[in-house]
Amino acid sequence: MNFKNLFVYWRTVLTVAEITLRHQWNDSFILFAILVQPMIIAVLALFMLRGLGGDYAMFVVVGSGLTGLWSSLLFISGNSINAERWQGTLESLVAIPTPFEVIIFGKNLANVVQSLISMTSSYLLAALLFGYTLKMVEPLLFLGSVLLSVFAFISFGLVIAPLFIMYRGIQQWQNAMEFPVYILAGFLFPIALLPNWTTPISYILPPYWAARALHETSTGAGDVQKVILAWGLMLIFSVIDLFIASKLFKVMLYKARVDATLETE
Amino acid sequence: MKTIANNLRLFWQGTMLSYIALFAWLRPTTYIASKILMPLAQILFFTFLGSYASGGSNVDFYVIGNAIQITAVSGIFGVTMSIGGDRWAGTLPYLFGTPANRLMMFFGRAFMHIIDGALGVVIALMWGALLFGVDFSQTNMSALGLTILVTTISTCGLGLLMGCLSLITANVMFVNNTVYFLLLIFSGANVALDTLPNWMQAFSQILPLTRGIASARILIAGGSFSQVAPMLMSEIGIGLIYGWLGYMLFKWFELQAKRKGTLETV
Amino acid sequence: MNSIEVKNLKRIYRATTGVIRRTTKEIVAVDDVSFEIKEGELFGLLGPNGAGKTTTVKVLATLLIPDAGEVRVKGLDIVKDANEIRKHIGFIFGGERGLYWRLSAIDNLRYFASLYHVDPEISKKRIPYLLDMVGLNGRGDERVQGYSRGMKQRLHVARTLLHDPDILFLDEPTIGLDPVGAREFREVIRNLQSEKKTILLTTHYMFEADSLCGRVAVIDKGLIVALDTPSALKKHVSDLSVVEVETFGVAEEVVEKIRNLPFVDALSVKDQDQRQLLLVQTKLGAEAVPDVMAALDGMRVGRVTVREPTLEDAYVRLVGGQV
Repeated sequence: MNFKNLFVYWRTVLTVAEITLRHQWNDSFILFAILVQPMIIAVLALFMLRGLGGDYAMFVVVGSGLTGLWSSLLFISGNSINAERWQGTLESLVAIPTPFEVIIFGKNLANVVQSLISMTSSYLLAALLFGYTLKMVEPLLFLGSVLLSVFAFISFGLVIAPLFIMYRGIQQWQNAMEFPVYILAGFLFPIALLPNWTTPISYILPPYWAARALHETSTGAGDVQKVILAWGLMLIFSVIDLFIASKLFKVMLYKARVDATLETE
Repeated sequence: MKTIANNLRLFWQGTMLSYIALFAWLRPTTYIASKILMPLAQILFFTFLGSYASGGSNVDFYVIGNAIQITAVSGIFGVTMSIGGDRWAGTLPYLFGTPANRLMMFFGRAFMHIIDGALGVVIALMWGALLFGVDFSQTNMSALGLTILVTTISTCGLGLLMGCLSLITANVMFVNNTVYFLLLIFSGANVALDTLPNWMQAFSQILPLTRGIASARILIAGGSFSQVAPMLMSEIGIGLIYGWLGYMLFKWFELQAKRKGTLETV
Repeated sequence: MNSIEVKNLKRIYRATTGVIRRTTKEIVAVDDVSFEIKEGELFGLLGPNGAGKTTTVKVLATLLIPDAGEVRVKGLDIVKDANEIRKHIGFIFGGERGLYWRLSAIDNLRYFASLYHVDPEISKKRIPYLLDMVGLNGRGDERVQGYSRGMKQRLHVARTLLHDPDILFLDEPTIGLDPVGAREFREVIRNLQSEKKTILLTTHYMFEADSLCGRVAVIDKGLIVALDTPSALKKHVSDLSVVEVETFGVAEEVVEKIRNLPFVDALSVKDQDQRQLLLVQTKLGAEAVPDVMAALDGMRVGRVTVREPTLEDAYVRLVGGQV
């Protein structure tokens, strides 16, 4: 995506995000993805990791929250273009002056921000139901990490959605992509447990760097330099993702006008 | 004799139709993704999480638990789709208009998913042997096979009940997903049940899967069939109760729909 | 000045079927279509289903790339300058889809106003004005879900006028509406024309084109078969009369037999429940009746009338009887 567009169209992005939230606030699938599933994972992890001691509860809160972020990105943002097609609104969104990727950016913004509920609900669960005293070690750095993670997730989503549209072969693997990222991004256990050959895969996943930044700032496991490294990499990946997305959207829209696939019959 | 043959045919047709209808849209790759890779990813995730907690000493516990749990993919999602499919396709009024034996029609929809689910567990256990070195050398294989079958049947029993609930609720997938994930806690696939609060343990005991998972763990560790036989009896009993409840609900639903004339709108 | 120029437009759909042996089937939706629409004109594109109307409109609305030909809107090229064109056009495709059903009408309009970069201050005034104009006043806060089909279609009109476009593409906007709803809808279109907008209207109802359009192009099988004012088109059939025969369950072979009679210029069949109305166009007028009756050969026949041709008949003749 062209960065300039974000500044030119900031008001449109916000309206799109607002309307998206209102449109899907009582969608049961979203409720499951951002609330029920992460909460059950949090309960499981709280029971399973109990033996670790220390600040493991905070680790679980952040980790299970991240699973909600990823599942929501994969299934909701990943399907954001397809959903418009099924509704028959895709044509009205393409043949207008606002660049299409700006609209999807707004939709992803809504989805990613909304999926932060996962972390909040896990926090309440651990604090109220399980009675843990949860301490945020670096609140300001944590907040910064949240903001950068949101941006990184949105950008990543802008790459996934057009890929799912253009190559149905990739979308078939959608269900099988949920847990591997939980594993490779180290949401709830360190990737050191994994075989060495998977490490490079983790390094190129923006959710991995988001998990690192969020875990390190919440539990205080990492020093500032490590956090800044994670921030920097999230930024770099976001820029790369937005660049790739701008190319993908161009190709996708042209291809759709050639193949007549903007609407479903 | 003719009735039996008729009913068997009905059972078989229901079985084939529901299975074909469900998977007609699937390509081989989708099947691989949803039946092989998705289960594998889930097993890997919980096994790594479990070994992170226990320092890697207890890998078998998680691999076996999650492998048996895989049967719920077919048992809950598959069976529900087979029953709910009629509602979406609008074929329900036609089924209710036939004189066909409802019991055969009903249980026919679960049959193929029992085979599919059992196969899923076998694949999952093979991943366990391959990737985590789960040792089957001390295992009574035929007893393990029976355990898998029994657990799959009892999970499909719950699936039949869920499927009938899907006829009266709008949010089928929400309910199914939630039940599937709750089973991850309550079946003891990932947490030793005796470490859970009492009320949770009590709840576990009335669910399918719980005893099946426990039996499989005992058998793979070298236990004998007589050790697990009582648990397997209870496991299948629980499954049959759920299936029977589902069948009652199915009959009730038919009656209500006919009485209130809501068949068209269901 | 011309708002729209279409020169030798061609558009093919390719459908691939089969998993193992893939075969690609080509369907020529638009074969060779040319026309021009002047600024402020209400131009009709008339043709039976599958004639290529919607495809033509979608190319103009920047939703499809042509396979051949040159298409310009406001002098801008439809492929190269799509983004610039999009600022000036509005479009509706008949039917209920394309709105967010779980949102209210006002939220739908607010959303699209923002996507068309309408200043929030302006859209605050414009949304109630448009709702009023399309007769949805007072219903704006309701979810679109509960709207009737006609209300949804009128909301589409409001949606497409948010940014006050100069050019409108209306693709079968009255399809599926009841007669009263359709009449109200045509009133809306007439109002738009009085606002000097350039409008391309597609329809398969001749009387609709007749009552609204200044010029009409008749399109059939991807080709333009006639392009003129409604009154000039009528002259195509001025030398003919129409024999109407009411039948009950006439067989396809009998219809073909009549169609092949030497004095029959065109024949169409209108289904009305259990009855079929045979419309026979002929120069013979009343003299044709005995031969037509003979061809029906003792079959039960209702009312038989001979009348002057209408525009509908001109259209029937142009598209060879298939309406």
